[in-house]
Amino acid sequence: MSEANRTGTELLHTPGGVRDIYGLECLRKLTLEKKAHEVMTSYGFHDIATPTFEFFDIFSRERGTVQSKEMFKFFDRGNNTLVLRPDMTPSIARCVAKYFKEETMPIRLCYTGQTFVNTDKYQGKLQEVTQVGAELFNDDTSDADAEMIALVVDCLLKCGLKEFQIEVGHAGIFKGLVEEAGFDEEAAEELRRLIVAKNFFGVEEFLEELTVAEPLKEIFVKLPELLDDLSENSAYVRERTTSNEVLEALDRLEKVEEILDIYGFSEYITIDLSMLSGYSYYTGVIFRAYTYGNGEALATGGRYDKLVKQFGVDMSAIGLVLVADQMMLALSRQNLFEDTRLGGTILLYPPENRDKAIRFAEEHRKNGKVVRLLRKSSKKSLEEYKAYAERMGAEMLLYYEKGDEPEVCQLPELRR
Amino acid sequence: MRYITFALAKGRLAKQTLGLLEKIGVTCEEMKDEKTRKLIFVNEELGFKFFLSKATDVPTYVEMGAADIGVVGKDTILEEGRKIYEVMDLKRGKCRMCVAGPASARELLNNGSLIRVASKYPAIAKDYFYNKKHQTVEIIKLNGSVELAPIVGLSEVIVDIVETGSTLKENGLEVLEEICPLSARVVVNEVSMKMQHERITKLLKELKEVV
Repeated sequence: MSEANRTGTELLHTPGGVRDIYGLECLRKLTLEKKAHEVMTSYGFHDIATPTFEFFDIFSRERGTVQSKEMFKFFDRGNNTLVLRPDMTPSIARCVAKYFKEETMPIRLCYTGQTFVNTDKYQGKLQEVTQVGAELFNDDTSDADAEMIALVVDCLLKCGLKEFQIEVGHAGIFKGLVEEAGFDEEAAEELRRLIVAKNFFGVEEFLEELTVAEPLKEIFVKLPELLDDLSENSAYVRERTTSNEVLEALDRLEKVEEILDIYGFSEYITIDLSMLSGYSYYTGVIFRAYTYGNGEALATGGRYDKLVKQFGVDMSAIGLVLVADQMMLALSRQNLFEDTRLGGTILLYPPENRDKAIRFAEEHRKNGKVVRLLRKSSKKSLEEYKAYAERMGAEMLLYYEKGDEPEVCQLPELRR
Repeated sequence: MRYITFALAKGRLAKQTLGLLEKIGVTCEEMKDEKTRKLIFVNEELGFKFFLSKATDVPTYVEMGAADIGVVGKDTILEEGRKIYEVMDLKRGKCRMCVAGPASARELLNNGSLIRVASKYPAIAKDYFYNKKHQTVEIIKLNGSVELAPIVGLSEVIVDIVETGSTLKENGLEVLEEICPLSARVVVNEVSMKMQHERITKLLKELKEVV
C-alpha cells in the first residue's frame, strides 16, 4: 500500500504500536489514571506538566531509560534533534533544576502523560503508553524511600489490584560487592549480565574462573536465595563483606522494611538483595511491582541522587512510575473491573414535552446525575431507542411521553 | 494452583528437554503420543502445561508471559534479543556460531573490505561485524541452506551454526572465525520468576542436578 494513495477504508488504520481507546475501555483507563493520581495528590504531590517533545540531550544515555535508537527523533527548524519523550523523569529533573534550584527542603511533584518508545515492529508492544508517576526531591531519608514504595502499594490497591508483589532492592549492593572484589570493568559487566538474566548457575561457573575472596564468592553464589527474610540474609552478607557501601545499603533496606511495616504493607513486599536495575541512573533503593497476567512490570522506581546534578543542581531524588496500560491489562486479565456499562441516563422526549424534559435534566444534573437528552423522532419506534440505549451502555432509558414524570423503559440487557 | 506453562522448541531439543524433565518427575504422558493433534498438553496433577512452538517463537511466548518457562537454543535467544531471563545452560545441543566460507575469503575478513554476509541470523551477524570486528558489511538474510551462498556467489562468507563442520567440508568451506559457543538454555519470564518464585526455583534446582 503506497502511502501517498491511501483512500477510503485504508485511511482507517493507525500505525503499528499505537491505538485508539474508546468506550468502556477509555472510561476505565481514565478512571484508573484518576484514582492513581488522587492517591498521589493525597500524599501531597503537586502536578507538573512538561512538553511532549524535548531536546534529545535531555534523554541521552546516562539520563534516560531508553536507548537512542529506540526514541522517536525529528529536527526543528534550527536543525536541533528533538525526541518524543521516552519517559518523564529526566524532564522533571530538568524542571526542578530550573525552577527550584534554591530550594533545600523537599519538593513533591506528580504527573500523568504519554510516553513514546520506537520499538521494532511486530513485537506486540505498544509504542505509546500512559505513565502516571511521582518524584520526591531533597529528601534522602529512609522514610522517603519507604513512603514512595508505600505509595506504589496504595495506588495499586486503590486501582483495584489484589495480588501483586513489590520487589525491593538496592543498587549499592552489587556496586559495593564488585568494587570490593576488585573486578575489572569487563568482568563486572559479565557478572551484571548474568545476574540481570537471573542465570545464577552461570554466576557460579563464572566465579570459578576468577580469583575472588572466598566470602565474597559465597555472597555472589547465594545472592538469588537472599530474599524474603531480610534480617537473616543481611546477617549472612554482613559476615562476609567489609564494603561500607554494601553495609550502608543493608542498613537502609532494614530501615525501609521497618517503616513499611508501620504502613501495614509488609505482605506486598519482597526484599531481594540480588535485584539489579538495567538503568544506570539509580543510586539507592530500587523497586518493581509485578502481578499475574502481565509479561512485564506494572510499576518501577528508585532513588537517583545523581541525576539532577547533571542539570547543574545537586539534589537527592526518588521516583516511581505506574504504567497505566500495563495496569489495564492486569485488571482485565484478572477480571477485576467492576463496571460493565458506560452508564448515564438517556431521557427521550417528543417535541411537545421539550420544556419539561429540559427542566428534568437540569434538576438531575445539579444532583450529579448524568442525563443525556434525546428528541424522539416519530419515524423511530421506542424499541429502536431501547436498542440504541443498550448499545450506548446507558444505565437507564426514560421516556417523557406524557404526564409529570418520565417513564422507565426496561433495557434488554438490564432486564436479566 | 496456577499452571506453569512451558514453551518448548520443536524437534530434537524438545525430546531431550522432556527427557530431562522426566528425570525430575515432571512428566507429560499426553505428549508422548506421536500421532496426537493436540497443541497443548496438561499435567493436571502437577499443574504444568506444555506446548511446542517454532524455536524462533519461544522467546516471544516467554517475553509476553504466554509461557512462564521456555527451552530454546542460545542462537535464537541472541537473534531475537527479547527481554527474558536466561537462567540456565542445559549443556545440550552444543555447537558454535561461526563465520564460514572458502579459505580464500579469510583475507577479506582482515582487510576491512565491504563484503557480503549471508545468514539466517542477521542480528547476530550484524552485531559481530559492526560491534566486535568494526567491519562494514552487507548482510543478506536467507532462510535455509546458507552454505549455498558462497558457492553460487551470492555472498563471500556466511554466519551460521556449526556442529561438526562436515557439511562445510563437503562443500569446500571452512570455519574462518568463531563468534560464540551455543547450547540449549532455559529462559523464564520476568514476572513469572517473581510471582511463581518458589515453584520455578525448585524446578530449576532439580533440573540443575540432572543436567
